[in-house]
Amino acid sequence: MLLEYALVSGLLFGVFYALLASGLNLAFGMQRIVNLAHGDVVMLGGFGAWELYYGFGVPPLVTLLIVVPLAVAAGFLLFQAVTPRLSRSDDPEMLSLVLFFGISQTIEAAAALTLSNNQRSLPSSSLAGHPMTIAGQTYPGTLVVSAIVSLPILAALFLYLYRSPLGRATRAVMADPQEAAAVGIAVKRVSSLSFGVSLALAAMAGVLGIFLFGGASPSEGVGLTVISFAVIVLGSLGNPLGTLVGGVVYGIAYELTQTYLSSWADLVPYVLLLVVMLTRPSGLLGRSARRA
Amino acid sequence: MPEPLLSAEGIAASYGTMQVLWDVTVEVRSGENVVLLGANGAGKTTLLRALLGLVAMPAGAITFEDRPIHHLRTDERVRLGIGYMSESAVFGDLTVEENVLLGGWPVGRRRARQRAAELYDTMPDLAQRRRTRAGSLSGGQRKMVGIAKALVANPRLVVMDEPSSGLSPLFVSQVVSTLDQLSSSGVSLLVAEQNVAFLGPADRVYVLEGGRARFTGSVADLESDTAMHDAFFGLN
Repeated sequence: MLLEYALVSGLLFGVFYALLASGLNLAFGMQRIVNLAHGDVVMLGGFGAWELYYGFGVPPLVTLLIVVPLAVAAGFLLFQAVTPRLSRSDDPEMLSLVLFFGISQTIEAAAALTLSNNQRSLPSSSLAGHPMTIAGQTYPGTLVVSAIVSLPILAALFLYLYRSPLGRATRAVMADPQEAAAVGIAVKRVSSLSFGVSLALAAMAGVLGIFLFGGASPSEGVGLTVISFAVIVLGSLGNPLGTLVGGVVYGIAYELTQTYLSSWADLVPYVLLLVVMLTRPSGLLGRSARRA
Repeated sequence: MPEPLLSAEGIAASYGTMQVLWDVTVEVRSGENVVLLGANGAGKTTLLRALLGLVAMPAGAITFEDRPIHHLRTDERVRLGIGYMSESAVFGDLTVEENVLLGGWPVGRRRARQRAAELYDTMPDLAQRRRTRAGSLSGGQRKMVGIAKALVANPRLVVMDEPSSGLSPLFVSQVVSTLDQLSSSGVSLLVAEQNVAFLGPADRVYVLEGGRARFTGSVADLESDTAMHDAFFGLN
């Protein structure tokens, strides 16, 4: 029974973790930007949900829709602002690390000053009123709803990337920005938009994460970035399908550890990162799946 | 004599601090098939990339249909009516159809689909492989996808980088024949090559050597130039 519970809750958490990490993966695919501020955007999504719920009575499911255009616009403008500097650099990946580390610290400090250092949480009833039963076991309603909501968002991301002209252009830019420009794609605009989409995914994960992490606090960003990074390395960097696999594997591994060795659970992302980097650096789906 | 379509004068190009082209002048007139001949490292690819805005150009001017374009971004130049096929030709992770449709990005989805359907009629081999990942195709098939990708937006000028590289002689003659048909249909071509098979249907030839233009003229002029003849047609 315990094992069954850990596996199902791991699966549910895993789908959410895939959403949590998908934005980081998309940003990495575009011009190899390692967005160390990813977790801070997740945190802002959580605070956004809290502010809108208590300030205006907006339900979190509606907030999910509100944060999308805001995050896309913010990401678009941020990318437009930073890429000229990155493209002039001899080592844009390293510069992006430093730059986004700075942005991460700035967001965290600004959030602590303006939103207070206290953890903010929302009542479970604002997302899902009752626990839900799956195969005879009862799970928190917020967990089940978060997984159910994450799935169509991930499906929409997949459809965007693989079935829309803009997604096709995005993948072309990911593959070779110069070749993409040579077919007439405005690379900077497409990259900026994709970066905006990556922030929107992070913010949506934050809206759901405030329930799954027991609240939102300004200092949680770094930890969330590490979890996201572990998930995308597990699945395969740059591959959205890999992110889903990585999320599920991470979720199940975390829940199993939480169930049987609870005091070791927080080590899971670091151990998985190490194991994957040492044994299968291309991720679980590897190279062939990256072409999916 | 037809009007110049593309005119590039005094082109210098560099990668970082390393200059690789000096004072190169190239012109392609409407409907012309121009071949840019040169050995490996002569600067052919760099010249094409400079024309497209893909490498730094410290000196020189480029006009397309009498309009200065050297200050424009690559995508802006392409949207004016320049199709480009690089040596790699395709996005390997995308399917044949995705590659072809991407080539039509400047003209919008509907027109790109219409034009792609027309191209599939003339290239039935591609039509059968629409869903195939382009990277898994043979070299020759990839080049055909690259040609379709370069043509789908109906450009007035198609710029091609070594369409014969990595191809068997059979595929080379197929590509030459396809380019000949294109040229006959009124599309202007600028083809960088080291394979003299492409000189057959060419109207004019530029020879690059060490990053500088060494020869400009017709194929007949090239054949009658002893040094050039020996360099490119072999000593008889």
